[in-house]
Parts: sequence; C-alpha cells; structure tokens
Amino acid sequence: MTCSRRAGIAAAVSIFAAALSPVLAFAQGGKTVIGVALAQDDNPLYILMLRGIRARAQELGWDVVAVSSNEDKLKQINGVQDLIARGVKGVLISPIDAVGINAAYDAAAQAKIPIISLARGSSSANQTLHVAINEKQIGAEIAEWTAQHIGGEGKVAMILGPSGAPAFRNLAEGYTDVMAKHPGIKIVFRTEGALTRERGVKHAEDALAANPDLKAIYNSNDDVALGAMQAVLAANRKGKTLVTGMNGVPPALRAVKEGNLALTVELNAFEWGRLGVDMLDHILKGETVGKQVFIKHRLVDAANVDEVLARIGKN
Amino acid sequence: MHRRAVRMSLAGQAPLITLVVLCAVTGLMTDRFLSPFNLTNILVQSSIMAVIAMGMTFVIVGGGFDLSVGSTAALSGCVAAMLMPAGGLAVGVLGGVAAGAAVGLANGFVIAMLGVNPFITTLGTMVLVRGVVFIITGGAPIGDEGLPPAFIAFGSQRLFGVHYLVWVPAVLLAALSFIMRSTPYGRRVYATGGGREAAFLSGVPVRRVIASTYVWCGALAGLAGVMLAARLQSGQPTAGEFYELTAIAAVVLGGASLLGGEGTPGKSVIGVFIMVVLGNALNLLNVDSYWQRVAVGLVIIAAAAADRLRSRN
Repeated sequence: MTCSRRAGIAAAVSIFAAALSPVLAFAQGGKTVIGVALAQDDNPLYILMLRGIRARAQELGWDVVAVSSNEDKLKQINGVQDLIARGVKGVLISPIDAVGINAAYDAAAQAKIPIISLARGSSSANQTLHVAINEKQIGAEIAEWTAQHIGGEGKVAMILGPSGAPAFRNLAEGYTDVMAKHPGIKIVFRTEGALTRERGVKHAEDALAANPDLKAIYNSNDDVALGAMQAVLAANRKGKTLVTGMNGVPPALRAVKEGNLALTVELNAFEWGRLGVDMLDHILKGETVGKQVFIKHRLVDAANVDEVLARIGKN
Repeated sequence: MHRRAVRMSLAGQAPLITLVVLCAVTGLMTDRFLSPFNLTNILVQSSIMAVIAMGMTFVIVGGGFDLSVGSTAALSGCVAAMLMPAGGLAVGVLGGVAAGAAVGLANGFVIAMLGVNPFITTLGTMVLVRGVVFIITGGAPIGDEGLPPAFIAFGSQRLFGVHYLVWVPAVLLAALSFIMRSTPYGRRVYATGGGREAAFLSGVPVRRVIASTYVWCGALAGLAGVMLAARLQSGQPTAGEFYELTAIAAVVLGGASLLGGEGTPGKSVIGVFIMVVLGNALNLLNVDSYWQRVAVGLVIIAAAAADRLRSRN
C-alpha cells in the first residue's frame, strides 16, 4: 500500500516533469548563455567586475548566470560544473587558487567550452585565456611610491592575501623586491589570509600595537586596506602611518579623497569584466587571442583622485 | 489501521520525500537538472560531504557533537599530500586517515574520559587543528609541483562509469549501515545515545563507546580530507571551512536527533543530497547568490521544524 502510493506519486510527478520540460526549454530560447564563477560575491572588486560583465553581455544580447564560492575551492569547482550542466557557452572564472581549481578547467575542456580566468590565473593547461594584471609591476610601483612618501626609511607592515593565490604572491614579491633596495626600510610584520575588512582592522591593530612608529601598511586589496585604515584612524596615526590599498574600488577612492587612505591602484574592475566578455566573444567567433592579455592599471593618490572619481561617476 | 500504517511509514521517510519533491520541482523548472551530466555532477558534489556526514552520524547517534571535522579534513588532506611524494599513494592515504583518527581519539578521550562538553572540546580542536595545519604547511598549498598521477586520477576518473570519489561513500554506506544496524557495537552506540544511564546499567561500556564514535568521525573526516585533496589536486590548508556546519545540518536533515539515539548513515546521506541538490538547483535556476544563502537557511530550519512536528504527533 505504502509502496504503491509512493510509487504512484513519484510516477505522476515525473510524467508531469517530462511533459513540461520541453515547454520550459523552449521558453528559455536560443540566447547565448555564459557562466561566471568569481572568487567572492561580497567583495567590491568582484561586484564591480560582475557589473561590467553583465553590462557588456547585455549589449551582445547574452544571458549571464553567476555562481558564488566565497573562497571555498570545492564550491567553486562545483559551481562551474553546475554552469556546464546548465549548458553555458563559455565560463569566466576568477580561480581562488592556481592549482586547487584545476578540476573546473578540466570539466570545461571536457565539455569543449572556453574558460577564461579573470584577475587571478590558473596553472591548468586547459585555461583558454588569462585576463591578467601585471602584479609584480604593480607591487613594485606601490613600493616605490611608499618609499618615496615615507622618506626612504622606517618600519613597514604587510597584510597579504590568501596563501596560494599567485596574484597576491606576485604583488608582494614586487613590493618586497623594491623595499629590499631601500636599506632604511624594514618590513617588521607580515600576515596572510582572507581579504576582508575585518581582518584588515585586526591585523593593523596588532601591527600598530607591536610597532607604534609604523610608517606604512601595505594591503593586498582595498577591503583589507579600508580595515587597516580604520585601525590607523583609531590609533590617531592619520598621516603618520600611510595605508596603501589596491584595486581602486569606489569606497577606497573616496577614502583617498578624504585623505584617510594614502594610495590605491585603479584596475577598473568594471572595464575588466567588459574585457573578459569581449575576449570570450572573440573566442566564440573562432578568432585567436593568445594565452594572456593585461589590463591597464594606474596609481591613485591625493594628486589625481578627483579626476578618477569624476570618471567613475559616469559608469 | 491501514491508513495509520501509511502515515507512520511516510512520516519516517520525510527526508526522502523532501528530496524527491525538491528534485521533481527542480526538474520541472529546468530540463538540465535531470541530464546525465548533472546527475553525475550531483553525485560527485555529494561524495566528500557524505563521508563526513556518515562519520558525524556515529557521534550524533551516540549523543555527541563534532565541530572539528572541517579542520580535520584539511589536516588529513595536507598530511596525505606531504607524505605522498616520498612514501607513495598508500602511505599518503593511510597517513591522512590516521591523522584524522588521531584527532578523533583526542576528542573522544577528552569528552568521554574527562567528561568535558563535546561542543567546547571540538570547538577547541577545530581551532587547534587548523593552527597545526597552518604550522606544518607554512600556510601554503601542498603539492603544487604535482601529486602522483594515480592520486589525481582518483579525484577525477571513473570506474565502471562512476567516479572513484562516488564509490568511496557507496561502499562505506553499505559497510557502516551494517555496523550500525546489525552488530552488537552498533546497538551499543544507539543504546548509549538513547539513554546513557540505562545503557550503563545494562552493562554497556558507555565511555569507550562514546570515545569510539569520535574516532569513527575523525577517521572518516580524514578520509574525506584525502578525497578533497585529490579533487583539489593539492593539500589545501584553508580547505573544509564550515564543513562541520554543513555536515551537522545534513545529519539533522536526514532525521537524526541532536539528543542522540536516532539516525542512520543512509538517512544522513539523504540529508547531504538535500543540501547538494538545493545548491545545484539554485545555481541551475540562476538564483542570486545572496538569495541562495537565505534559501539554504530556510530549508534547514523548515526541515528541522517539520521533523519536530512529526515527532510531537
């Protein structure tokens, strides 16, 4: 009795499903659907990047399906598999880690669809293209700027990104290589971890507690920098401890304008997202694009922040 | 009489019905859901959490609780990846599982022998073990230079059309269900979780039984960590964060009682499927990631509430 009733319900449901599914498939139409799997969904850089992706996709008449992972590697792999299951024509991904996400690239290759890395890159041979930034160069430029503005001497703290992500390693390497050339500058504090404002506050507090005369705090992105900035303001070190960020997200630009943040690097995440979609468009049309393209970057400090803010206001 | 019997047996199957309804509704809303690719996808996505949840079932049935499984999985994945280049595949896998069992033994000793609250004990080991992982790895992933090809293949290849990663929980499900249901040991676990005093008075060595459930849980979390390392092609010190919460939610969704004495490995696996299918469905339906969190939270509460209402009637 139990069995037959349950079986009956199951059969009815599956028949209903089978009858309806072609209708729904038809309703979805023949639009090109692309998948997006960024590393975080609550980070201003990625929020802006996703907006750029959506804006360009809309111009092309494409649909965008975005999955989130929030720095959980397995979740990102699973998300990409969900996208492939959904039948996307290509994937834009910002891999959390250079090796850990390779299974997602393999899955895309098996499904014969292109997979483009945005921002962070992968070591996978199946990475179709990397829309990258020149991290070492940027790290070096931040260091040069910092060294110049603290007069070539003093203590410096570094709040780094998640271990294992090559983007942040390269940034830090560019930075430390330049700092090593300044004998008066000493890096007295280094810590790695997730890119959150909360972490920025905490580690900057620790760094300042251990070194009250800290001259500068390097942060691997703006969110961490905004946290570190709060700690510096709370410690009454505004203008004495220079906080540098990276990415040029709107809240960081406003903080530069207010004089609370010393420096950020504008990567224009919005344009970055647009560029990713454009590259995917080229690839889907069968054009050759190489394995890597760089996006432009620009240091933003008090001298040029107004101009950048005015331009961003138009996006 | 017949009707009551139907209602009773249906009530016992609430998690399975939830899963079937979830699948049916999703299947109606997108034809991609029931595609062979996606069904395989769901099995692979469920595999690692299923192993953790089955271990958690032992602890929860025995009346305990384990928050340290995520950290343990990270530890075992890293230990396996560190041992493999020199010791080979078998040493790596066994070392990973042994590391997990050792964490479980420590948990079991403190909880059962010293009588410390399991929530606090395993909260402590969760943080402690994560620290150990960062210390032994220096915070960086292990195996960037490449793990044995056979291990990578274990994380991605199939045997008889089914991923190796899926075979592991499938075999374990059969074995652990047998142990829980049909051995004196299994009955002692249920007896201990169902009423510790009564079990003690009828001659069950409750302390040893409780300690043993944590060893199961740790060893299985360790095995899951090794599977995770194969999937991520590296030992990742940050892997497995929040897995403890997903595992506990899955076990409870499967109908186990947090008070102990109730639950089976099979039902916990159904709980894992509910969690995974829900995430998969929300992705396929392109639900905004912020709303996904709201939906997952609601489903956990709703399933637990439905279960309470059932047991009250």
